[in-house]
Amino acid sequence: MQGFMTRETLLKWAPVLVLIFLLLVFPIFEMTNAWAKGKEHIYLLDSRFLSIRNLARIAISATPALMVALGVTFIILMGSIDLSMEGTVSVTAVGFAYAFLWLGGTLASWAWLAIPLALLIGAAIGLINGIVHVKLRIPSFMASLAMGFVGTGFALLLTGGDRVRVEDPLFRALLTVRWMNFPIMVYVAAAFLLLMWFIQTRTKLGRNFYAVGGGEELAAASGLNVNRVRILGFMLAGICYGMGGLMAVGKIGIAETVTGANFMFISITAVVVGGTALWGGIGGVLNTLVGVLIVFVINNGMVVIGLPSYIQSAVLGILVIVAVVLSTDRRSVSFVK
Amino acid sequence: MYELINVDKRFPGVHALKAVDFKVNRGEIVGLVGENGAGKSTLMKVIYGSYQPDGGDITIDGTKVRFQNPRQAMDHGIGMVFQEQSLITNLTVMENIFLGFEQQFVSFGVINWRKMADAARAQLAKVKLDIDPSTKTSQLSFAQRQLVELAKVLTLEERIDGDLVILLDEPTSVLASEEVELLFQIVRDLTSRASFIFVSHRMEEVLELSDRIYVMKDGEVVDVVEHDKADKESIQHKMVGREVDKEYYREQKQKPYDGDRVLLSVDGLGFAGRFADVSFDLHAGEVLCLVGTEGSGREAILRTVFGIDRPDTGSVTVKDQKITRFSAQNGVTMGIGYLPRERKVEGIVAGMNVYENMTLSQMGNYASAGILRIGEERALAEDQVARLSIKTPDIFKDCGGLSGGNQQKVVLAKWRSGGSEILLMDHPTRGLDIGAKEDVYDMIREMSDEGVGIILVADTLEEAIGLSHNIIVLKDGEVQKRFTGAPGSKPSLYDLVHHMI
Amino acid sequence: MNMERIKPHLPWLTLVLLVALVGIANPTFLNPAGLIVLASDVVPLFIMALGMTFAIYIGGIDLSVQQLANLVTVIATVFLMSFGIWVAVLCILAGALFGAVSGFVTTRLYVPSFVSTLALGFVALSGAKWLSGQRALHMDAEQRDATFGWVFERTLGIPNELLIAAGLLAACWFLQSRTTFGRSLKAVGAGELAAVASGLNVDRIKILAFALCGALAAISGLIFSVKLSGGDANLANGFLLLAIVAVLVGGTPLTGGVGGVLNTAIGTLIVMVIRAAMVYLEVDATQQQMIFGIVLIIAIALTIDRSKLKIVK
Repeated sequence: MQGFMTRETLLKWAPVLVLIFLLLVFPIFEMTNAWAKGKEHIYLLDSRFLSIRNLARIAISATPALMVALGVTFIILMGSIDLSMEGTVSVTAVGFAYAFLWLGGTLASWAWLAIPLALLIGAAIGLINGIVHVKLRIPSFMASLAMGFVGTGFALLLTGGDRVRVEDPLFRALLTVRWMNFPIMVYVAAAFLLLMWFIQTRTKLGRNFYAVGGGEELAAASGLNVNRVRILGFMLAGICYGMGGLMAVGKIGIAETVTGANFMFISITAVVVGGTALWGGIGGVLNTLVGVLIVFVINNGMVVIGLPSYIQSAVLGILVIVAVVLSTDRRSVSFVK
Repeated sequence: MYELINVDKRFPGVHALKAVDFKVNRGEIVGLVGENGAGKSTLMKVIYGSYQPDGGDITIDGTKVRFQNPRQAMDHGIGMVFQEQSLITNLTVMENIFLGFEQQFVSFGVINWRKMADAARAQLAKVKLDIDPSTKTSQLSFAQRQLVELAKVLTLEERIDGDLVILLDEPTSVLASEEVELLFQIVRDLTSRASFIFVSHRMEEVLELSDRIYVMKDGEVVDVVEHDKADKESIQHKMVGREVDKEYYREQKQKPYDGDRVLLSVDGLGFAGRFADVSFDLHAGEVLCLVGTEGSGREAILRTVFGIDRPDTGSVTVKDQKITRFSAQNGVTMGIGYLPRERKVEGIVAGMNVYENMTLSQMGNYASAGILRIGEERALAEDQVARLSIKTPDIFKDCGGLSGGNQQKVVLAKWRSGGSEILLMDHPTRGLDIGAKEDVYDMIREMSDEGVGIILVADTLEEAIGLSHNIIVLKDGEVQKRFTGAPGSKPSLYDLVHHMI
Repeated sequence: MNMERIKPHLPWLTLVLLVALVGIANPTFLNPAGLIVLASDVVPLFIMALGMTFAIYIGGIDLSVQQLANLVTVIATVFLMSFGIWVAVLCILAGALFGAVSGFVTTRLYVPSFVSTLALGFVALSGAKWLSGQRALHMDAEQRDATFGWVFERTLGIPNELLIAAGLLAACWFLQSRTTFGRSLKAVGAGELAAVASGLNVDRIKILAFALCGALAAISGLIFSVKLSGGDANLANGFLLLAIVAVLVGGTPLTGGVGGVLNTAIGTLIVMVIRAAMVYLEVDATQQQMIFGIVLIIAIALTIDRSKLKIVK
């Protein structure tokens, strides 16, 4: 049963190889461009793409999406899907901003309470999402899509279309203060990733996600309360979306209805491209990190080598399909709707 | 120690268990044999708590117990090793062993992996499996997985106080012979810890392993044989031994088939893991039965001939035309019809009415330039409903709401009116009441008279014998023996069972 | 009377009830002239929902229709000058081709339709941005009126727009209930495995259904573009939710096989009345999306056939 280059091992490492390939291909593009222009000495270190400044830029832009993608990772691990992130991110971001301003407007006051509040709001939306999906027995893609619409609508209701500015320098330190060239928010994201990794590998809940994704009926027959695991999964995802909302506000200092826009596609792309199978049971948060990096390296690299940014969504769209096709074991699927 | 007394179980239309007495002593290995439909699986489900008996008692050490679900049975020491692999392959071995019972290793939601690994190692030692408990299950061989399943069941030893009874359901079906030997050795060693109930269609294995063998037939225990006195032939006689009612299967209507007209010819057909090197010819007016136990490859052969599955080797020739493209669509074009076992899923479309179902495979005959001639469809349906006496208020009734027998008639009408000359029938009488069964038998005879060739996988052996001109006995995907069955010289049940198991 | 018996009648009962309620609260709502204006307003949405019906009828979904319509508004605007009326053919062909690709990816590559169409929607978005140069484009007013002005004229007092919608509805109804293709769609939606075992070419049927959905989305985009006299990569945003709501509220469940295009007509009217009611009741425009999201959840919960879902993922 064990082989060196089995399908499983190949799939496991493919995303990393793709990332490494991308990290090399963009500098090479740059170098050939430079060479074409007649530059004589070409060093890899001259690459604008590989400069610390640019890498920090990639890290910053990837941070909110990573938070969101971590959340949806757990859902996809269970073989479900969550399309509610755009609404949830917007609601948590707007909710946070209003609470933050109302409680004093600076982290040095009671306004810090707005942070756990935002995560709570995320968990609450996830709870509703999970209950609608599990108790009303509605397929998750539809339940969560509808919840996403409700969320965006609710955010719009809260703001009335206005932008809410969060200008507290202490909070904005997330972006403005840098350690070793990277802003604090990157370290916060790294810490959160570690926490999620811990949940995935060390806790009962985390392992139960794999059991549900690997064989829901078998897991239920072994006495696992699958419905509870599902609802908890959606709550955990909601908390991650809350983190995503906080990071998005931290990044631009504004909370509005469209704060959550585009997160749906980017996060699902990242998860699937990272190697977490849409059918559940395989993959995890580290895959998602790789996936998010792939998405944002492509995004950034295309700009660096001078390609228009609008191609990005087409590239990602095709990438998703390729990733799903590669991770599908066709013998095990009878038909697909 | 563990005992069933006078246990009864009924399903609508079926008396599945009739006053069954069953006993397992401490440290004993009890064999359970019987042909398909004899009640083995119902009995097993009663034992491990998936079914609740309608009458009789279950006792453990003389105390009456009643299980509402498998979990409660587990709490009383009844464990089950399933025939189908029931491990979750993307989890590690230890996670599978303790799935649903992780709580003992968890504090504040965090799992202590080291503690779980140690505990898992202790379980694996019981089945003499020396693997790292953190191996992913997908990387194990089937034999290893079987042992892990056994180890998983053996965790009951620590969890409960009383004795263990472990059911082994066809545990050897995916194993090679030396692996079977290993498994048996381990099971024998484990009798110091638990009692076993061993269910298999491989008679030799049951004889070798069991201390006592229960023989079931028609929901009854017909004999209990001690290991020393067990003899394959006599057990097989007891499993069958029943007179076939000739009238019932319309034997008087059976006519010789046309040996000159070959409708379908199968040559060296093989499908990895299902069946290998199967060859036969089907003639006009012939009923050919494929006989074997569950998983012997009968159904898979039908599906391959129809085109739903693609063979790895061999060829299928329909009316002198070799099939190159295997698809259901092509099968239908070649004039093959298929009555699937899963009537409600593959046979009829629930949600479509009677006439829509009847023309589903032949819409082209009732349409011009893609536009349906619905009037003609309805006329066809009215005609078929009258001819096959299909009981439906009208032809606009949703087929999902018809009774099983009438659904089956609709499916038959679909293929017959479409002109299929070859019919593949998978359990055509499954779940039908007696009247509906007789209707199906009549229809089979009528179709034979009209020159239709039929390949049948029958619901019971009697049915196979009663209906067929020719019988092919299969075991583990290979052809064992062929019988001819002209009225008056039909093979006996024993003849077939002898080659089946 | 049990629930199963009432279920098929729920959509039109809901519609009548809603109309009555709004009519009582505000009798001017029932003014025919006003109703006709309201109805013409939802024509693009209706046509998109009509297409979506086919995707949902076979048990799938098409999440790309909104982006596809966006792309078509750009195509229509860019090529109106050079193609004249033929731009309509171009748009419809582009839509059908695009839908066929979705169908192909879903059936042949085994990618579930909600992912394949989501992904391809973003390919369409790229296309729209590229073609429009990421700007909002405007049609040449004279050219528009010369080519498509007739759309907004009236025949016997009824806007031609409504007549187009009615014509498409009739065509789709005919296709659905009178042709082998329509019958096959029903079989695939109600019992895919039985359809396969009856020898239907299920893959081709599904691809055609998605192509039809794409073509109708393109017509919807075209009419919308002509209506607003321009094209933009975001013009049709907001249609997706309403189109799904219209189909589901009309009584075509997510599990497929039941309902159909007439149901979608009723569903679209329900959406129209709810929207009108919100205006009359002075419900803020910002709350509409939330309310429709909740309506969507209720509609799915009521219509979905749970016996078809062994495990709900």
